[in-house]
Parts: sequence; structure tokens; C-alpha cells
Amino acid sequence: MADGADRIPSGDEAADLSRRRFLRGAGGVAAGGVIGPALLGAGGRATAESQAAAPAAPASAPPVAEELGGDVAIELAINGQTRKLTVETRTTLLDALRTRIEPPLTGTKSVCERGNCGACTVLVDGEPHYSCLQLACDVRGRAITTIEGLGTPSELSVLQQEFVTHDGAMCGFCTPGFVVAITACLKKDPKASEADIRGACAGNLCRCGTQPQIFEAALAAGRRMAGGKG
Amino acid sequence: MALEPKALGPLAIRQDAPAPKKKKIKTTKVVNGIDTEVEIEVDDVESIAWPERSKLRVLNTDIPRVDGPDKVSGAARYTHDVRLPGMVYARLLVSPMPRARVANLDVEAAKKVKGVVHVLVIKGTESGFLGDPIAAVSAETLDAADDGIRALAAKFEALPWTADHETGMKPGAPSVGKSGTVSKAATDGDEAQARAALEGSAFRVKATYQVPIQHHACLETHGVVVDYRGGSEATVYCSTQYAHGFAANAAEELGLPANAVTGIVEHMGGGFGAKFGLDKQGQVACQISRELKRPVHLMLGRREEFLMAGNRSGGIQTIEAGCTADGRMTSFVIDAFKHGGLQAGSLSAMPYCYKPETHFRSVRSVRMHLDASRAMRAPGSPQASFGMESILDELAYAAGIDLVQFRKMNLPEQAAWQHQLDRVAQEIGWADHPHKTKPGTARGSECIGIGFGVSAWGGGGSDDCEVEVRIERDGSVTTACGVQDLGTGTRTYMAAITAEEFGLPVAAVTAKLGNSKLGQGVGSGGSVTTASLAPAVKDAAWNARTAFAAHLSSVMNLQADGFRFEPEGILHSGAKSPTMMTWKKACGTLPAEGLRAQGKWVESLQARGVNCTQAAKVSVDPGTGRVRVLHMVCMQAVGLPLNRLALKSQIQGGMIQALGYAISEGRVIDPVLGIQLNASFEDYKMPHSLEIPRMTTIIDDEDMRGVIGVGEPPAIPGASAIANAVHNACGARVRELPLTPDKVLMALGKVV
Repeated sequence: MADGADRIPSGDEAADLSRRRFLRGAGGVAAGGVIGPALLGAGGRATAESQAAAPAAPASAPPVAEELGGDVAIELAINGQTRKLTVETRTTLLDALRTRIEPPLTGTKSVCERGNCGACTVLVDGEPHYSCLQLACDVRGRAITTIEGLGTPSELSVLQQEFVTHDGAMCGFCTPGFVVAITACLKKDPKASEADIRGACAGNLCRCGTQPQIFEAALAAGRRMAGGKG
Repeated sequence: MALEPKALGPLAIRQDAPAPKKKKIKTTKVVNGIDTEVEIEVDDVESIAWPERSKLRVLNTDIPRVDGPDKVSGAARYTHDVRLPGMVYARLLVSPMPRARVANLDVEAAKKVKGVVHVLVIKGTESGFLGDPIAAVSAETLDAADDGIRALAAKFEALPWTADHETGMKPGAPSVGKSGTVSKAATDGDEAQARAALEGSAFRVKATYQVPIQHHACLETHGVVVDYRGGSEATVYCSTQYAHGFAANAAEELGLPANAVTGIVEHMGGGFGAKFGLDKQGQVACQISRELKRPVHLMLGRREEFLMAGNRSGGIQTIEAGCTADGRMTSFVIDAFKHGGLQAGSLSAMPYCYKPETHFRSVRSVRMHLDASRAMRAPGSPQASFGMESILDELAYAAGIDLVQFRKMNLPEQAAWQHQLDRVAQEIGWADHPHKTKPGTARGSECIGIGFGVSAWGGGGSDDCEVEVRIERDGSVTTACGVQDLGTGTRTYMAAITAEEFGLPVAAVTAKLGNSKLGQGVGSGGSVTTASLAPAVKDAAWNARTAFAAHLSSVMNLQADGFRFEPEGILHSGAKSPTMMTWKKACGTLPAEGLRAQGKWVESLQARGVNCTQAAKVSVDPGTGRVRVLHMVCMQAVGLPLNRLALKSQIQGGMIQALGYAISEGRVIDPVLGIQLNASFEDYKMPHSLEIPRMTTIIDDEDMRGVIGVGEPPAIPGASAIANAVHNACGARVRELPLTPDKVLMALGKVV
């Protein structure tokens, strides 16, 4: 988290942010604990420009201790689209997706709100993250993929198809989190073993007890992907 | 109308069909634009029944659930996901102590918080249990509502409480309500006779067992979204197991007539018995919505869910049992306490399943200032199973008799458990297991043990579902009932039963449910839904098919009883040559309003009484006390399996919930501080993917009865089987669930 290189705001975003007093919601920032030097450095236009000019070395930009807070207009790259939304500095990515975007992206589920259950898992630059532990402001400029970005009911991804075939969803509330977490795992290695898959979704809880079917679905999807049929 | 008769192959030409009898059925017809129920006469060629299993085309196969694509893509909308214009988010403040006086609640400060639009004091004087709702704050955002809760700066002064068994048993314990803490004993059996039989037994054992409070832990918390914006109507979305069970109450709270409120539950994220009725949070949301004239979203937070939304009651059982030298149980005496918080709690009748010659039972409740227990998947039965199967094992070891043989000897001779025990013993590898009559010893780091358990449940239905099947002129088909789908696959079998009847693929039928304005649906508790609903769906589809045949008969001038609805199309066998037309073409002959038929429960299509038997194999490390469950096997009678895929999922789901009950789940209350130490998913530990054992599910296909509910029995005996397996592995008899490493080490005498 200390290395903010991959979270640098674009020049425009940073300029926009420079007009906000960003740290007013200090409690929110502290709770999230993820506002790195890149964000702090976005305090003034000059800083933003220097960052835009030298994105590889954001940590070298001197932090500007301007107070930031209140509502912030940001842009997030969600499912390949740029979405404009207004958040608070403390707004989690989860809440941003579910309540601050129109139309809302409610496929990402809110279950525990503290990183215990995995139901809110999304991909950030391809890596699975609990969106309840990410601040929306902190993922500007990064590629966010939610469950909705993986497939639609009429055009399911290979993994989603196998979830249906193997009955990997009962009540379905945990399902999006499992699908996203396993998508990341299979993308890295379609030949992932059952142990790999179990490990990839060890942070996801399911109360209906669909795990055995989920493992089957993941293995079947991996076989199809590895075989090039996906 | 151009119907295209086609020559047919050998498909079913019924020769010499006798002249059919006639029967009258009710169907709905639109007359002058008005729905009218009419009675029509149709051929009574056969009485309604499920086809022979070998002839089923859709049912009794693996049917992917019809709402699967919505669920795996995030498109399925749950109550939690409802978003409405002008909607406010409400959060609850709940009592942090089992009993307390509310010393401070700064309502004005909360109202001043940015974004807060409403503050409601629910209970401003005194709380009655840990988690008792005190106030609700509504705001434009969830964060602002939380700010408002904090701004209330609530202070509580402790009042004396009862939050554990020991306190509750003391004379003068802080009373729950006006009736003290310990209830009068409910007894059964002849104590003198049972005790005399104990005295005369060749082998006797006595032990005390304890089960924890287990949480339902539905991933979707309890809650509602009330869509009332002033005016004369409202829609209430509720995460519930009974779609028809809350709209009328919501109407009352909103001050509207009952027919002005629609209850909706499109999808729901788990119930397991905890979600019936509007509940306190529902009443509160209605009150807020009524005052604000804005939609209100009130879903419990996870902590509130743990504290106030019900649970499986815990308890303590002291059991004495005896048997003859050859292993017949002579006596069973139990003195039990139930821990149901404010409620009595539940415990199924003990002795459970097994039949000792005599028994005496005394059951009391110790009430506490904790939220009331609720029904949870087979309420009372896992508790009863744990005491029963444990004492049974202890007795079998005392008598030196094979654990499977001992069970078979003490179960009714004709019961399905007999052959089920043989089968699960085979699957788990009992024949080659070294510890059949005495447990293994605590040597090495991987002691392998096997345990068994049995269970029973009713699973029959009732006349509580009204189903409508509609066939449209364009060939589309709808089957509708207001009932809810908890994730058990209700939608899917509604479509499948209808599809089977018409010879259509499942995808050709749309199942509509989860709406209180549709036909009556039964509440989903106690495995009653399928046996109530499936017969009504079958009846509606049957009536629709019969009416459709009657219609085609008049259009085509062919005998109504000659029509058959097959995947190839609609066939007719009575004419000179068999005819065939596509479903779509046949539907095209219907009047503009299509065809509708209603269905009610048909008792003969369902059955009740299910047996289930499970075995578990575990590995115990006596050095660390860690238990790993390696393999669970379940064999269950299910009657007619509607959807084998969903059936397997549900059975395995029950087993996994039992796995949690066995190894890691249980509410932990600090009775002095009056707090729950594990009111989060971080501390309340459910089984996760690394702990899921190999699972074997065997559907008992010898059971040729009609449809039976299956959800409860698989959740019952697994924990007992695992506990017995731990003892079998290394001699650690843990008499208190869950089987955490500390308890295993204590049972081994390694920790005191």
C-alpha cells in the first residue's frame, strides 16, 4: 500500500481533487488506512502536474498537508467504462458501487462490511480485493471489474456458465464474490488444482454450503479455458 | 386454422381406447373482458399422478436452476439491492448489554448530523435483551446514518441480567419477564420404570452433553425496503421465508388497508428458519416511511444480525442409558435444559429416533436476557441428535458392540435407516476400519476415526398454495405462485413440473413467484414448501393440459383423450393416423386471452416422513487437538426427486452447516460483561473452503413415494457423527460442541 505508483490520479483527476479539501474526513482516511503518498501529493495543481509528468516517482512529490474532505467528484474506471460519481473521502468502493452510481451496481454484495466474508470481492487491476476495505477515492485510475463486468445473464463467462451447470449458487448472495475471486485465480492459471481453487476462495463465506459445487464448477471452467474452448 | 397433421413413428398410438369418463374441472375464462371461473367437462382418462420414474423426461434429472444466470452475474435483485428514488438508509442502535437503563440518547444532536433526516427512538427507557433495538437513524447515505447513531452518544447503565446457565439456575437470578428464569419441567415417560430398567441393565453410562447457540448467519441480513411515498399504496420488499406473511402487517404499520400493500421477495439471501414476518426492523422501517413519506431501506448490520435476529437454541443434557448384554437399549433417562434466550428454545423429543424399552424425559428452559431463539433448520433436532448419538456410542463401547450393529439393533426394524446404515458404512470404509468396538488411542499426529448418526423429519405439505398456469397464444407459458425461493430451487421445479406436463424444455416456462399479489404460497419453514407447492403446480399444469386438450379436441374434431404432449410436439393417437403439430402452432389456436388453469394441493402427490443417515471420517491430531473432517457421507430418502442437482446441493449444504456446528460455531457470551465476543464473521467461524471435506450424497432411490421436503434432515446428524468420529479416532470424548482444539486436548487429559 505504501507504493502508490499504481494509483496515481490522472492529471485531470488530480486537478479536480486539488480543489477539494481532502483530509477533512480524517477518521475515514485513518479507518481505511490506504491513502498513500500519491493521494496526499495531489494537493495542488503544481504537484498534480509534476505527478502527471513523472508518474513513476510519485513518492518523491512532497505531501501537501491541505485539509481534504467533504464530497468529492471522482471518476472510476468500472467494467471498462468511465463512471463519474460523487463520494466522500471515506466512502468505500463497495458503497460507491452499490449506492453512488446510477444505475447502481448491486451485484457486489454487502455482507460483513469489514473484510471477513468476501461477498464484496471485485477485481482491481485484475487482482481480487474486498471492496469494503477499499476507499473509492483510492482506486481512481485503476481498472475495476465487478461481477457485472464478467458476464451478463445472456452472455455468461465460462466460469459463470459452469457455476450454473454445477449448481454453484443456492441463495446466491455469496456467489458474485466467489465468481470474482475464482475468475482471478483461473486467469492466472486455468490449470489451477482444486487446492489452488480452495485457496483462492478461502476468504469467501457461503452459508448454504455450495462449496463442493463451486469447486467442481471452477475445475470444469479451468479445463475449458485451458483447452481453449472458453 | 392450418393444422398440419404429420405422420408419426411408433410414438404412442393408443389403440382401442375405451370411451373416456368425464370429469369437471375449473378453469378461468375471459368473458367480455372479465375473468370468469368456469367449470368445463373434460375426459377423465386418468387420475392425477406423477409419471413412472422411468418415464420422466425433465424431473428426477439434474436441472440447472432457472435463476442461475441471474445469480452468477449479479443481476438477481435481493431486498438489500433495492434502490428507489428518494430512498433513505436506516441503521439501528441496539442495546450493548443484556439489560440496561437508557441513560442518554441525544436525539437532537443526531438530527443535526449532515445527511440525517429522521431519528426514531424505539425504546428510550430500558432494554430487555442484548441487541434490543433502541433507536433508528435514517439518512441520505449509510455513512450519514452511522454518523447519526454515533451522535446519539447513547449511554447505558447496567441492570442485573441473566446471560448464562449458571446464573439462571441460581435462586433469585435476574428474572426474564415476570416468570423467573427456569421453567417448569415438561416430562414424558415413567421415571420409576425407566430408573428400574437402568438398574437392571447389563451396561450403564451417564454423561452430560452441551450444545452451543448456533447462528443462522444468513449472508443477507434481515431487513426490508418499504416503498411508501405518501398516497394510497405501498410496496414492501422483505428478505423473508414467507412472501404472504408480512404485507398485511406492513399495511397495518403504514396505516393502509391490507390490499394496498404488495409484498415482494424476488430473491433472498438465506433464511434457514430465521426470517418470518415483518419483524421489529420491518415495523420500524414502516413507521419511518410513514412519517417521511419516502422509501426506507433498513437492513440489519452484521453485528445486529448476530445479536437480535434469532438463533438455534443451545442446551445441556444429562443422560443415563442402559442396555442388555447383547446391546438392546433398556432405558434412557434425560434431564435437559434449553437455552433459547427470551424464548423457551427447542429440543426434539428424546430419545431421538432410537427406541429404548423405557424412557423418562424432563426438559426445562433457562431463560436469559438474550434474543429469542428461532426456528433453525430442523429446530431442536441437531441438539437432540448430539445427546442421543453420543450416549449411544458410549453405551456401544461399554458393551463392546460394533457401532453400526448397535444402532441397527436399536432402530425400528422396518425403518429405512437399516439399509441406509449399511450403505453409508460401506461408503465411509467401515469394514476396513480398525476401531469398531473400541476407540483408537491418541498416538501420532493423524488419528483416523469414523462416526455415525441418523435423523428423521416430516417434510409433508399442506393445502396452502394456489398456482396458476397460463398458456399464451404465442406459446409462452407461465407458472405462478406467490411463494418464495430461498435458494432451494423452487422457481426451477415450478418451471420443470410444468415443462414436464407439456413436453416442453424447462426454459420454455417462466416461473413467477415472490409476490404477495400472486396466488397464496406457503411459508417456507420445516421443509413444507416442496410438498405443498409441487402438487399444486402439477395440478395446475395437469388442469391446463386437460383444458388445452379439450380445446384442441373441439378445434380439430378429435377425441380429447387422444392428445399427448411430447417434446416432438402434440400428438394424437385416436385418429386414423397419428397427428402432430408444434406447441406453438397448437397455442395459436387459442383465443386471444390464451388459457389459464388453477391448481391446488393434491395430497396423493406428496408424502411425509424422511429418514437420513450420515457417517463422518475425521483425522485428529492429539498433539494440537485439531480436528480435520475428511469425508462425510449422507444417504437420504427424498420421495420423488424433482431436481437431483438441487437436491444434492441442499443435502450437502445441510451437512456443511452441521460441520460448522460440530467444529467451530457457537455464540460466545461473556456473562459478566454482558457482551457477545463473536458477533462478527471474523470471530464466529463458519466452515470455509479449506475445511470442506470430501462429500458423498446418496439419494435413497428405493423410496418411490411422492414429493417430500428434504431440507431439514441432512442438517441434523452430521455434527453427532463428527463428534463420535473424534472419539473413535483417539478416545477424546468431547461432550460439548463445537469440537475446538482446546476441548479435544482437555478430553485427552492434556489440558486441564
